Amino acid sequence: MKEDKSIEKAKRNDAEPTRDAKVFVPVTDIYEKEDAILVRCDMPGVAQDQIDIRLENTELEITGTQAADKPEGMDLLAGEYETGVFRRTFNIPQLIDRDNIQARLHNGVLDITLPKAAQAKPRKIEITTGG
Amino acid sequence: MYWNDSRSWSPFGELRSLQREMNRLFDGYESGTALSRFPALNVWGNADSVVVTAELPGLQVEDFDLSVVNNQLTIKGERKGDKPTDDAVCHRSERKIGSFVRTVRLPFAVENDKVAATYTDGVLTITLPRQEATKPKRINIATS
Repeated sequence: MKEDKSIEKAKRNDAEPTRDAKVFVPVTDIYEKEDAILVRCDMPGVAQDQIDIRLENTELEITGTQAADKPEGMDLLAGEYETGVFRRTFNIPQLIDRDNIQARLHNGVLDITLPKAAQAKPRKIEITTGG
Repeated sequence: MYWNDSRSWSPFGELRSLQREMNRLFDGYESGTALSRFPALNVWGNADSVVVTAELPGLQVEDFDLSVVNNQLTIKGERKGDKPTDDAVCHRSERKIGSFVRTVRLPFAVENDKVAATYTDGVLTITLPRQEATKPKRINIATS
């Protein structure tokens, strides 16, 4: 019975984390340009190799693991924030050019550019006047 | 809007939307007051030095203005807007911009000219060594 449950959870992709880390929702800006959608997340303390971006069907899942900021041989005197894992999922439209998605991390800000597929780009329709 | 998917209902979706609402609620509570404490700081220390860290993503090194007087550290800075292009339409804007200032009292006086700061992956780390004169001195007891 217990095993069935765990399989169910894994299938639903709502599995609980096994690591003892807090999960945070990164604050995000979303912009749309004529040819692309830009997702910009604040992910301070996350190194480039600690970021995982997955696009599955219409779900974009962004995960970033923060480096623990405890300096060697020091004690915490005053703590106002904690480190953990950033995770957030967005629903994005189907019409994305999946092969040309780009991601860039700079000073703790993650930029994901999702180019629109050709059929989703706006097309200007010329009106012809009948002679 | 692209980002709301009402086609399929799932209890986890409900939970997520509740989480979002809670986040928004506390966002409003945190900001806008004269006593808002931004950025959040972690202060680490041992007998010889203090390290102050803050999560401040998306700034440039020149946007910071750090100063230290005796045992007071002041962190000033400004996060500028980073709209990609003028014609981009904004769907969601959660990342805040603007200037901030915060002063903290350190547990001891520090060597002002030996303070070092680094900015890596959006985390500001300031290392402040303790002033030699204020370090505790171990006194040995001589036995006759």
